Amino acid sequence: MTSDDIEIRHLTKRYRGGAYDRPALQDIDLEIPHRRFVSLIGPSGCGKSTLLRVMAGLTVPDHGRVSLFGRTPREMCRRKAIGLVPQTPALLPWLNVRQNIALPTLVNRRRGTSHESTDDLLRAVGLEDSAHRYPHQLSGGMSQRVAIARALGLRPDVLLMDEPFSALDEFTREALRMQLLELWQRRATTVVFVTHSVHEAVVLSDRIVVMSARPGRIHDVLDVDLPRPREREVVSDSRTHEVEGRVRASLRSAWSSGINPTELVAP
Amino acid sequence: MREEAGIATRVTDEAEGTGSVPPTPVPSATVPPAPEPEAPAPARGSRRRSVLHPNTWLPATVVLVVLGLAWSVVAQAHPYILPGLGEVGTALVGDPLLFLENAWATLSIALVGVGVGAGSAFLLALLMSEIPVVRRAVMPFAVVLNVTPVVAITPALVVAFGFGMAPKVIVTAIITFFPVLVNVATGLRSVPLPVLHVFRTLNASRWEVLLRLRVPSSLPYTLAALRVVLPLSLVGAVVAEFVAAGSSGGLGTMIRNSASTARLDHVYAGVACLAAMGVLLLTLVTLVEKRLLFWHDSRRPTRG
Repeated sequence: MTSDDIEIRHLTKRYRGGAYDRPALQDIDLEIPHRRFVSLIGPSGCGKSTLLRVMAGLTVPDHGRVSLFGRTPREMCRRKAIGLVPQTPALLPWLNVRQNIALPTLVNRRRGTSHESTDDLLRAVGLEDSAHRYPHQLSGGMSQRVAIARALGLRPDVLLMDEPFSALDEFTREALRMQLLELWQRRATTVVFVTHSVHEAVVLSDRIVVMSARPGRIHDVLDVDLPRPREREVVSDSRTHEVEGRVRASLRSAWSSGINPTELVAP
Repeated sequence: MREEAGIATRVTDEAEGTGSVPPTPVPSATVPPAPEPEAPAPARGSRRRSVLHPNTWLPATVVLVVLGLAWSVVAQAHPYILPGLGEVGTALVGDPLLFLENAWATLSIALVGVGVGAGSAFLLALLMSEIPVVRRAVMPFAVVLNVTPVVAITPALVVAFGFGMAPKVIVTAIITFFPVLVNVATGLRSVPLPVLHVFRTLNASRWEVLLRLRVPSSLPYTLAALRVVLPLSLVGAVVAEFVAAGSSGGLGTMIRNSASTARLDHVYAGVACLAAMGVLLLTLVTLVEKRLLFWHDSRRPTRG
């Protein structure tokens, strides 16, 4: 095993009360190379968020092993090497933007990892004018930018993002995608990005992991061979549409391979 | 009746109108350096203006005048049941020091009682949130203590602790204990899961989660409890004074003694003092809430 990749081996996770033969995650094998942007996509209930939580050390799997660059998820947490961007921005409402972004440096101080200056982060996400605002004074897109800046602040080895843009309107999503690409390109950490938008996955990722539900399995792994940096022209390119077509086809077959498709919501 | 309803709707319309102005930060990405979080300031200004507006104060004033007239009519017909408002006023003005002293005696009992009761409830809630066994051990007894009419214990407490401050403070503390315990315990657990996840991926210690996350999250609940409990503490103090009249003063003692000597003007003057103290305490909580909970939903006029 190389210590440069994220490696997931024979991972199985059952939730209590769930059917035994249909675990939330069944026998997941996945490799995510260093400094790549990988998206997990699949129908509801395919366990993509569970997989992300396992990688973040928030959920303990029943079987199998997760190695993030040779370390367990909890070890990575102790080193403050994981940046988590949850579905909701999860900001502390009593702290202003600057304090929220600086929060990771205040918590668990013993591990004084190098971190980016808060001013740089504010500038990077374009919020230097809002540094003293409080979360209730921010729009959804701005809040999510704060959450991203907070996660990037400690220069994490892995950035785990759980449908971070799903609650935003299409314009804001588009803008945030481009901004995220820019941030990632400059920092080049490994990103695992859960989404249910095919377009989003294609525009952002190097690799797309298509999952099927009930049981949660990896159905297909598709490489996205679009050039980087991905400017707006590339994004609306015909090649992008071609890749999107492949992902959609894969999702369709993933959907029909589920044990009881009628229970599922189409992606 | 219809007129008042109209006023009411207009008032709420206005409140919404002023409220929806500040929290629209959507285009603010391009706004030049936002000076501090002063965004709510204009709202406060306009709210103050609306207090002076007749729409705001007139309805309550009308009711007040009507009630005053009704009181006077009854007082005139039955002077041995209700003292005239003028008499109550003269009693208050005639010997203000008497009322102030007694009010202070009652208030200090109430405040010390809240300090002991709410303080220990807060600490216990912290313990319960960190150690589940404590929760299971304590909660049943706290519930029993809450459903027991504490007033019933007061005579026994007087027997045990004499006529001094102790039994009164204990009664007040018991009365204020449970609401604070339950509210703070709920507040400490009301942390959104995603935020907790972020803290866990940072490997935050329990102490850090408690201090940086749980306690601030519980603040709205704690203050809501104080809002209930501070007026309640006056009830506790007065009831304790009724039972344990004793030598020390207090409005409760004064009201009881005045009633037994048919000094109704003093009785109602004392009640008026108690009402004023209740309002004072509520105002205090509201001020603290405004200061500490500027970020909470409850303090925002409308949800953006």
